[in-house]
Amino acid sequence: MRWFEEDPLDPEIGAALEVIEATLAGEAVDPRDADLAELALLLTAGRPTMDPGFAAKLDGRAASHFLAPGPSSIRLRARPQWPRGERPAQPQGRRHRIHWPELGGLLAALTAAFVAIVVLGGSGGRPSQPVKGTAVAVQSTFTRTPPTPSSAAGTVVATSSAASTRHPSLAAVPSAAAPSVSVPSAAARSAAAPSVAGQAILRPPANGRKIIQAAQLDLTTPPSRIDDVAQQVFDVVGAENGIVQSSRVTATGNPDGSADFQLSVPSQNLPETMAGLSRLRYATVASRTDTTQDVNSQYTGDQNQLADARALRTSLLRQLAGASTQTQIDSLNAQIHDAEASIAADQVTLGRLAHQISYSQIAVTIDAATPIPAPVTGSSGFNLGTAAHDARRVLTVAAGVALIALAVLVPVGLGAALVAWIALALARRRREQALDGA
Amino acid sequence: MIETPTSPAPPPRDDAWLRLEVLYRTSRDDVYAYVFTLLHDRAAAEDVTALAFERAYRRRRTFDRRRGEERAWLFGIARNAALDELRRRRRFTVMLADPADPADPAGVAGVAGPDAGDVGEGCEPILRRAAVRTALAALPARERELIALKFHAGLRNAELARVLGVSESNAGTMLHRAIQKLRKACDEMV
Repeated sequence: MRWFEEDPLDPEIGAALEVIEATLAGEAVDPRDADLAELALLLTAGRPTMDPGFAAKLDGRAASHFLAPGPSSIRLRARPQWPRGERPAQPQGRRHRIHWPELGGLLAALTAAFVAIVVLGGSGGRPSQPVKGTAVAVQSTFTRTPPTPSSAAGTVVATSSAASTRHPSLAAVPSAAAPSVSVPSAAARSAAAPSVAGQAILRPPANGRKIIQAAQLDLTTPPSRIDDVAQQVFDVVGAENGIVQSSRVTATGNPDGSADFQLSVPSQNLPETMAGLSRLRYATVASRTDTTQDVNSQYTGDQNQLADARALRTSLLRQLAGASTQTQIDSLNAQIHDAEASIAADQVTLGRLAHQISYSQIAVTIDAATPIPAPVTGSSGFNLGTAAHDARRVLTVAAGVALIALAVLVPVGLGAALVAWIALALARRRREQALDGA
Repeated sequence: MIETPTSPAPPPRDDAWLRLEVLYRTSRDDVYAYVFTLLHDRAAAEDVTALAFERAYRRRRTFDRRRGEERAWLFGIARNAALDELRRRRRFTVMLADPADPADPAGVAGVAGPDAGDVGEGCEPILRRAAVRTALAALPARERELIALKFHAGLRNAELARVLGVSESNAGTMLHRAIQKLRKACDEMV
């Protein structure tokens, strides 16, 4: 590569060179340049000639294209002819030649190993991202801990605990009495849907204790299916002898459509109700929250308090029967009135608690959202759409791997090129130095 | 440039082989002459010549015609091999004097040869030839190389520039300077 401007040749030098060229070509030259021409001829005549024996050997090797014998093994003649006893000692140790192909192969293998470590190790080194449909389910399953026998109540939250605040009854449950175990919020609500739906429905132990149960279910459905899903909620509640305490359905056909339900179902039917609501057609479970609160002691206390109030009223009635003075009669009547008021209040409290125990509250929300395609399970779900999706995913992964490999190979290649360039420059410099020192 | 008769070559396997065959026939003696002038050692010159052709055959596919003519490419290889030989020599030891070449009747390092034996009338051309040879041997290696490439190998100035990695005008200037030096040395001797 000629990257500099070529200087013009001095006319005198150019003329001399022309004389030389003419002489070598056998042309006549100006008599004034006879000296230069003679010198050129003398130099040409003094050209060293090759030994005929060596020439014959070289021709033989050329005929075989210098393929055999090996490159540096040919010593056509002993060299150099050192005076006897003056031959210098050869340096100890053989000078190793650089085997570039082997070196290149080794470099490529090291690069491939490095890329493999980066690619494979990268996925293992980072915290695992939840994979759609399964990772969250596994995580929630593993992190879910059953309520300890000593605890009065237990709460299992399958998704964000913030979801429980939507439900008034759930918000009223004292959290101190109900230690909760929360899974970190799902990466995507829709991503968790299939796994949440597939979880086993919670059933409190049937040991006769008084328990208040509540649940919250968040569903997503295509905007055009809000009405269908809402109707299915009514159907499920009716089938389980439940009550729709309140409902609000807003169907716009757009993603802003939604529906809210406040349900009350017999507690013994709660698992089946939740199972039914989790399997609604066109709906996907985004999150589900189950809450239980053990109120056995409170129920027993209320019962005892009612019994005590009744016993007091009976006693007061007996005393009233035996009262003789008007003052005693008035006092006992007042106490009996208070006792009856207390009985009435206790009955109301007990009845309310019994209703909470007998009927579980369920809050259902339905949000319109773009449906996430369900993961393909088995070959039966294979179609062009899933194939295209898989192909796109494979191409994405391949492009990512190629990008990572490129990120490694480009610096390595640049470094190798730099090293090669420096090595070549050094070799050239050493050769020129050898020429200067000759 | 001297055509060298060679033994018949096997049929060429491809174009690269054919080109190399022609290049070998036309350049064998030129390469040897250049290398010998540079190294002052017949055995080393033979080794380096063989090595240069061996490398040329091995690298026949790397030749890029856009980067110069084939002869310049070949002499570049020969030059590298010769300079490597010079480096090898320097690593071993510094020779006290160039070994006498038994095949060179005039000797290389001096005028003491059959040519210089008789200095009577009519011997002026012989004396001049010997003087030129002596002056050439006394030149620095870099200038000796220029003379060898031009007059022994028969390279054109453009090829010479390509081998040395300089511009053509620069090569011409360097060549002219070397010739002037040689002329001065010859005049002083004669």
